[in-house]
Amino acid sequence: MFVLPPSRALLAFLFAVIFGAFLPASLAAEGVRQSRLKSTTTESDISTLATSDLSAARRDGQAEAKLLEVYRLIGQGQILPALKQAEALVKAHPNFQLAQLVYGDLLSSRSRPLRILGDVPDTTARIAAPVLGELREESQMRIKALRERPPAGTVPSQFLRLSSRNRHAIAVDASRSRLYLFENTSSGLQMIADYYISVGKLGVEKSVEGDLRTPLGVYFITSTISQRKLKDLYGAGALPINYPNPLDTRRGKTGSGIWLHGTPSAQFARPPKASDGCVVLANPDLEFIMNTVEIRNTPVVIAPSLKWVPPQSILPEVSVFEGVLQSWRTAKSTGNLPRTLSFYAPDFNNEGQNLSAWTSIVQKEMTKAAGREIALKDLSVLRWTDNGTDTMVVTFGEVIEGTITGPKKRQYWVRQGNQWKIFFEGIIG
Amino acid sequence: MKQACATLPKTLRLLALAVALSPMLAAMPVLADDYSDVNQLLRGGKFSDALAKADQYLQGKPRDPQMRFIKGVVQSESGKPFDAIATFTKLTEDYPELPEPYNNLAVLYAGQNQLDKARTALEMAIRTNPSYTTAHENLGDVYAKLASQAYAKALQLDANNNAVQPKLALIRELFAPAGKGQRPGTTVAATPIPTQAPVPTTPTSKPPPVVTPVSPLPPPVLVPISPAPPPATTPAVAPAAGSKDVENAVHAWASAWAAKDMTGYLNAYGKEFDTPGNQSRQSWEEERRKRILGKSSISVKLHDLTVTVKGNTATARFKQEYAANSLSASSRKTLEMSKVGERWLIVKEHSGS
Repeated sequence: MFVLPPSRALLAFLFAVIFGAFLPASLAAEGVRQSRLKSTTTESDISTLATSDLSAARRDGQAEAKLLEVYRLIGQGQILPALKQAEALVKAHPNFQLAQLVYGDLLSSRSRPLRILGDVPDTTARIAAPVLGELREESQMRIKALRERPPAGTVPSQFLRLSSRNRHAIAVDASRSRLYLFENTSSGLQMIADYYISVGKLGVEKSVEGDLRTPLGVYFITSTISQRKLKDLYGAGALPINYPNPLDTRRGKTGSGIWLHGTPSAQFARPPKASDGCVVLANPDLEFIMNTVEIRNTPVVIAPSLKWVPPQSILPEVSVFEGVLQSWRTAKSTGNLPRTLSFYAPDFNNEGQNLSAWTSIVQKEMTKAAGREIALKDLSVLRWTDNGTDTMVVTFGEVIEGTITGPKKRQYWVRQGNQWKIFFEGIIG
Repeated sequence: MKQACATLPKTLRLLALAVALSPMLAAMPVLADDYSDVNQLLRGGKFSDALAKADQYLQGKPRDPQMRFIKGVVQSESGKPFDAIATFTKLTEDYPELPEPYNNLAVLYAGQNQLDKARTALEMAIRTNPSYTTAHENLGDVYAKLASQAYAKALQLDANNNAVQPKLALIRELFAPAGKGQRPGTTVAATPIPTQAPVPTTPTSKPPPVVTPVSPLPPPVLVPISPAPPPATTPAVAPAAGSKDVENAVHAWASAWAAKDMTGYLNAYGKEFDTPGNQSRQSWEEERRKRILGKSSISVKLHDLTVTVKGNTATARFKQEYAANSLSASSRKTLEMSKVGERWLIVKEHSGS
């Protein structure tokens, strides 16, 4: 009779070692999937969803979930079910290179023991060493993202306050090759999905054009570009973000064309560091984001690594800053120009307009207000700290009491000493 | 050959008469002629003749699996893979318990680079017969090939050098379809002469089933057997002179195999060794080299070895337990040996159910 390889326990152990000491069965696969299952079609979201999406089954994150299921089965020593799953996965996504690698391993394991993830013949390993290394890295990133989940009830520390206009928010953790998508619900920011992503070939902290790095900071999605307008490289579409933002500009950073975009048809996912600076997602994941978020109102925080904090812990900090903001608002409302101007940094700059140029604009606005109260509608405050510099990115509608609408404004504040100063203010809508 | 064709129907008719006359006579004697006739035509490369003969036979006995199987082999060898696939597929439908048609389907599919179909067919072969070494080896090859294709896709390598389809081992003979444990008998009921009526009923282990494996050996098989029980089929025969030498040769062959001693292993096979799958001797040797040296470790154990010697020929039958890397399989095996000088060499090797 045909006999199975000696010890199944040994085999399971071997696979666990190969796949990175992963996978007691109790690991949080269930927890992840639950967050995936949560519906996003709340009433407030209907208007932001393309009608076609309402009835479509969720396809985002599915390929990764299936791959992680294969890993889980391997970790349990269930090789044949793993092989079957891997086979189905590569059939559904023949361009998912990591899945093909795992599938190849599982096939090879039928006739010989495996030594490592991607146990290709030595000659092949030599020829394809860079690609093999990248696939193993991608695998490690995906496994890590499953094992190490953000603590429940926490949010990235940048999100101090979001308004009801910010239906969704995005945060990218470059060190984890992960993008987190949030819905801004009545009970606060809820994570509704997270995806494997790629950043620039040379990592993060973009500063100049062509440096192959992804920028770090607080950005907003400015527009959307559909697939038919794009090359195959960009996959399902693109969501450009506003790099360089005013903080980047203040620091003399150059470059442009930083997008969230998809992958080419030959590749389901790209290595952790792959792009010219853009944030790259698998097409089903990008499609879901494009169908979900509202352009211009969706902040995108890109950090070298995210710090997750309970929202309540942020409140003291928020209230301190908002106290300052209110002082500025009051000064402007009461028509006190000098006091208002005291909140602006000397090196204020709005696209070439320095403080004295901006002063006349402030004056005009004050005149228009004619002593009526100025309200800050739909206020959002995001904090960005790096290299010892604290900044706040503030967005609001500046509405004069008694009127219905007013200009949508964005301000960038910087902490100088123990004071907050505005170094950028602009009308963005 | 033409003459043989002309006389066949006569023989058949004779046979029919004999059957009517002698209930003891199973129909095999004349069938043995037909099978080996077709096989001989096949070996001679006379494919259309072989096909014609097979079809002629099948007109009278359309369900006969043995002849249908041989016909499939002929179609396969003569470059008619689609016909061969149809033949073998129908066989698997009519006789799903037979592993050999599945195996050969796999060979054909692999030749067309339809590896997933090849894999499914081999898994069926193994399901019906878990100890069938050939199917296992073929399946290992298919897995390896599928793995290298997956790796090529993973690493985005040029898959063009994967154009060489794996050459799997075609099974040339259909063994006893009824019941496991049947060993291919070389001398079963191999007489063409109706007067030898008693022969098939000699006390061999079991009455041969309707379709008996007939190995396409040269004439000795067809020689009318004396009323004495064919020695080869009786395990209890007294050890003849030379059987010890045969045993030693068999053990030496197994040891060389396990030790991956290619020289010793290949030298155990005689010049006239009947290579499987119509391969040339050279390509068979290369394949064995690849298969044996490609394993990190091999273990070959023999049990229940029985040897029967007849002059300068001998037959060794045993249970073979084979293990290599993470595979292990046990099966029955038969080695036909021939004495050349002082040495006993293997001239034919087959595994059985």
